[in-house]
Amino acid sequence: MIRPVRVLQEMMPRGNWQRRAAAFAGATCLAAILAAGSALHANTKNTQTHAKTATPPSAPVKTYGSKNAQIRMEIFSDFQCPTCGNFYESTLRPLINDYVASGKVYIVHHDFPLQMHAYSGQAARWATAAAEVGQFESVEAALYDNQAAWTASGDLEKYVSTAMPAADFKRIQKIMEGCEGPGPVAKGGGGIVPAPHACSVDAYILQDLALGNQLPVTGTPTYVIYNKGQRLPAASGMVSWPILKNFFDSLLAQ
Amino acid sequence: MKSDAQRKLGKTLLVLGRLALAVIFLFAAYAKMKPQAGMNWSVASVKTSLAMFAMGVDSYQLLSTAGVEFVSHWLPPFELFLGLWLLTGIALRYSALVTALLLGGFFAVQFHVYLQGKEISCGCFGPGERLGPLSLLRDASFILVAIAIAIGAFVVHRKRATPALSGPPAYPTASPDRVG
Repeated sequence: MIRPVRVLQEMMPRGNWQRRAAAFAGATCLAAILAAGSALHANTKNTQTHAKTATPPSAPVKTYGSKNAQIRMEIFSDFQCPTCGNFYESTLRPLINDYVASGKVYIVHHDFPLQMHAYSGQAARWATAAAEVGQFESVEAALYDNQAAWTASGDLEKYVSTAMPAADFKRIQKIMEGCEGPGPVAKGGGGIVPAPHACSVDAYILQDLALGNQLPVTGTPTYVIYNKGQRLPAASGMVSWPILKNFFDSLLAQ
Repeated sequence: MKSDAQRKLGKTLLVLGRLALAVIFLFAAYAKMKPQAGMNWSVASVKTSLAMFAMGVDSYQLLSTAGVEFVSHWLPPFELFLGLWLLTGIALRYSALVTALLLGGFFAVQFHVYLQGKEISCGCFGPGERLGPLSLLRDASFILVAIAIAIGAFVVHRKRATPALSGPPAYPTASPDRVG
């Protein structure tokens, strides 16, 4: 006879052990269900997608690679977030140069500036304006490459201007007319703080913030990976390129 | 001397706690290895799930790439083994001790990362669960159960090993004065 049943029999008076065994089994099942329930709740909450994380058709292009790639990676990030900077430099750069360039991965950038960062809303505005003239990649690189400098000074324009030809920068400056002051940001608990002085590019940032809040994004970077159109659970935080590459390889081998 | 009812209650709690911990670890192993969206069970899908778990381990930013790969490949099967070991009840004091040590290690790492303010997934029961006060509280309660089971198992083993401590024997023993 198996050990748990023998133990149960030894500890209970004869004649009652069946009823008590049923009660013990029920209590054990209840404990296991309670323990698994909290985990299931987290998993279910994450896999039941509320947000369709796709780039709204009218938004400026903030993407890398071919839309036909098997893997799509949607990234919610804050230009002033140090982990996002590390993620961009250590992981996204080799990813873009390798797997995006070879058509394996398609990256979609979503702005998710956080309230805790003084200039992140404004950085998102500059990046969005740059996307409208086709200079998103160079501005994203410039902002992350010089993150420490403009975080200290608040002078984003200086670094954006050096990332592109003068003619394109003039176009961006025109788009950014009236965009003084902080841009829209996300606040804790899923809220959005609109810009005190709204400008034309804010609509796209607000769309990204709303998308992120539906996930929900609780920190940056947060990314959602789709493989052959199937959504995988969202993840957040830093991930190194070798680990991410290994994961992509396993998806591509499916 | 403890009454029969108290001893039986202790044994009952020991069995319940052991089974609960077994289910928790079996579920944790399953959650980490189960196929992700759109995939069927296969060696390839398990590899993908383990690679995804590796991303969660990497987000803690505590281990090298080799360390992340080692943990991500061996922790889920070890959790499966531990769950089965607890289920059988064999050498419970050792399985409970290993469980308590493992859970203690998890909690220490998670608490350390939480204090750093990192917004990452716990990774405890697969992807998607945020590391926060609730997950820490839950894991702390698991540790308490594991410690209680370990202590209880050692006490029961000690009583079995020294019958004088557990009361009069159930069978008559030969008197030292009796000859033959």
